[in-house]
Amino acid sequence: MALLQIAEPGQSTVPHEHRLAVGIDLGTTNSLVASVLSGEATTLKAADGSDVLPSIVSYQNDETLVGDAAKAHAITDPENTIVSAKRLIGRSLADIQAKYPSLPYQFCGDENHPELVTRKGKINPVQVSSEVLSTLRSRAEASLGGELVGAVITVPAYFDDAQRQSTKDAAKLAGLNVLRLLNEPTAAAVAYGLDSGKEGVIAVYDLGGGTFDISILRLNKGVFEVLATGGDSALGGDDFDLAIADYLVEQAGLNRPLSPSLERQLTMQACQAKETLSSAESCEITLELEDGKKWQHELSKETFESLIQKLVAQTLRACRRTLKDAEVTSDDVIEVVMVGGSTRVPLVRKEVESFFKQPPLTSIDPDKVVAIGAAIQADILAGNKPDSEMLLLDVIPLSLGLETMGGLVEKVISRNTTIPVAKAQEFTTFKDGQTAMAIHVLQGERELVDACRSLARFELRNIPPMAAGAAHIRVTFKVDADGLLEVSAMEKSTGVEASIEVKPSFGLDEGQIANMIKDSMANAKEDIQARMLKEQQVEAARVIEAVQSALDSDKALLSNEELAVIESALSTLAEVAKTNATDDIEKQIEVVNQATATFAERRMDSSIRTALSGQSVDKV
Amino acid sequence: MNYFQLFGLEEKFNLDTERLAQVYQKLQRSVHPDRFAHASSQEQMLAVQKSSMINDAYQSLKNPLKRAEYMLTIRGTEMPNEQASFKDNMFLMRQMELREMLAEVKFADDIDAAIFEATQVLEIEFEGLFKSMQTQLAENTEEANQLASENLRKLKFYQKLHLELDRLEDLLFET
Repeated sequence: MALLQIAEPGQSTVPHEHRLAVGIDLGTTNSLVASVLSGEATTLKAADGSDVLPSIVSYQNDETLVGDAAKAHAITDPENTIVSAKRLIGRSLADIQAKYPSLPYQFCGDENHPELVTRKGKINPVQVSSEVLSTLRSRAEASLGGELVGAVITVPAYFDDAQRQSTKDAAKLAGLNVLRLLNEPTAAAVAYGLDSGKEGVIAVYDLGGGTFDISILRLNKGVFEVLATGGDSALGGDDFDLAIADYLVEQAGLNRPLSPSLERQLTMQACQAKETLSSAESCEITLELEDGKKWQHELSKETFESLIQKLVAQTLRACRRTLKDAEVTSDDVIEVVMVGGSTRVPLVRKEVESFFKQPPLTSIDPDKVVAIGAAIQADILAGNKPDSEMLLLDVIPLSLGLETMGGLVEKVISRNTTIPVAKAQEFTTFKDGQTAMAIHVLQGERELVDACRSLARFELRNIPPMAAGAAHIRVTFKVDADGLLEVSAMEKSTGVEASIEVKPSFGLDEGQIANMIKDSMANAKEDIQARMLKEQQVEAARVIEAVQSALDSDKALLSNEELAVIESALSTLAEVAKTNATDDIEKQIEVVNQATATFAERRMDSSIRTALSGQSVDKV
Repeated sequence: MNYFQLFGLEEKFNLDTERLAQVYQKLQRSVHPDRFAHASSQEQMLAVQKSSMINDAYQSLKNPLKRAEYMLTIRGTEMPNEQASFKDNMFLMRQMELREMLAEVKFADDIDAAIFEATQVLEIEFEGLFKSMQTQLAENTEEANQLASENLRKLKFYQKLHLELDRLEDLLFET
């Protein structure tokens, strides 16, 4: 790793070295990594020259295979070869089994933490995704020749909090610093928007392997404002495959359940047929049955289209609803961007074109457009383009609320609200003398608790006994720019407080992640300590650089005494960061944070004032 | 600082939404967390706070009914809560009639025409109430604000009916 340079306090740190940052499209079927190299975003290739990495992980006795190597085991060893882990991540067992009844895996673990039984033991879907991310990270570091500052990882816009959190956990497990979780359609719009310099309303139709997203955005002078987003987090090209597979099972006179290997054979044949039929009028299917006999069938394009017609219509209904949510009509849309491999299916293109009354944009490879957009955003977030005008204003895809009496959901933040956002709502007690309150956080659009996704439960205790309805419990929801939620509750008269990062009830808690990281290291103890020290040193360097550049531009906002305090804290930090004392570095970072609190506040207010005054000058 | 001041706008109900959007984008450009992805955690936290506040302010001012509600709040007008009993019997009767009208849409011979007609009825009545509220908000006396707040409450009923009609339309289209 190149050592980070630290300048003498008071001196400018420019010129900046180019910081290595990547965009990662963590897909259901395939994943990609891209980066901006000499001004141009390109996908990064593996040693064998391919840039698409199949999102498949195979757990073998002596090694864990990822990508094409794992794909080779998909049919012969289906229980130990996990495909489409993205469909499992952050979901409950009941959810998975209802949606995908014929998966060849053995599930274990509890309802909220399903795991897969493999020959390497119990594996969490988060770990499977982290293997894919690790592979991409190594590829990027090899091809860029250095350690990454961070990554922008894309998620379907329709992912709920649990799915987003789990994706972030997978990245953490893979040793990636997540600069931002970015919605896939927004990433695609970035890739196109900057190329064409369009202004107006655009629609992004994203049909991937496992998910469908539709986003409506308004582009204006480099600002991408998402107006509304909709879709279905469990509808994609894989469902086209399933439709074909179901049809084949029926035609071949087979009875389910079939052996895992025949199931896998069916889906792979179906997938191949789908791809062939994008350019051919018919295709030949050959199955090797359990009794060793071969079964052949010719599938026509017409039959295929009739099989998927209903699914395509389902996506267009979502488009109609989302346009309505955005308060625009299909006539306002000046451009339609196509994303995802499944948009190669001619019927999809045809139906989208007739719905929006214009041919959709397909000039960037639909498999790469998301990774390219993510790379552009990563380059900006890493600080390589300080003058960039681009800004992404994204929204939360599903409403967030709380359970109230009678199993009803009270919405606190409604869907399509721009993030980050913070909202508070007051609730009260139901019984006289009630001293505790169960807070149940939910996500979804329905009014009944059972129809929404349960995200977390926690309790506010020690409420002083009062008459029913007398207590004022203020519950605050905060959603950050990654779309992740944090909830806190407080009884107002006494200040009794409870808060939770919405995490433990789904996915993994901090301890579990730490254990997994530990398990994945050979010499656990030293490695963990070395890693923690390095993390703190990197953080120290980042803080020093950030504060230094803030001082360079806004020193005027400080008195001489204030400046002296900050500078001395900073030089102490620079000294401590050279040592191996992890805890001391952490403490000194906190000291610097404390010392710069007021300064940061003043800087922020001053930039708001500048923005406003610029506005009135324009007006004059 | 109230939201109008935050955006450097005059405290009026009829505001220039085009300009509101422009100022909003300008403000977000200066405080959005993406601008601070490489800054200290202190600044990142502040950025999330400020950016959240600006988003909330924008949402409160952009939508006319929310804007009215916000104006009445800063004017200190007591807002009756949604569950409070409604004294206007005429209005309640009318609401029941309108609900019946929506319930009957799906049995109509020509569903499209029935939806169109229901939309028209809702829009005309909404417009009427909206115009009076507009005038009352401009008047800005204690009495006028009280009346505006009652009209706002009625308008919310219409908004709900509209949503129900939308849902009905979706349902009918999907089958």
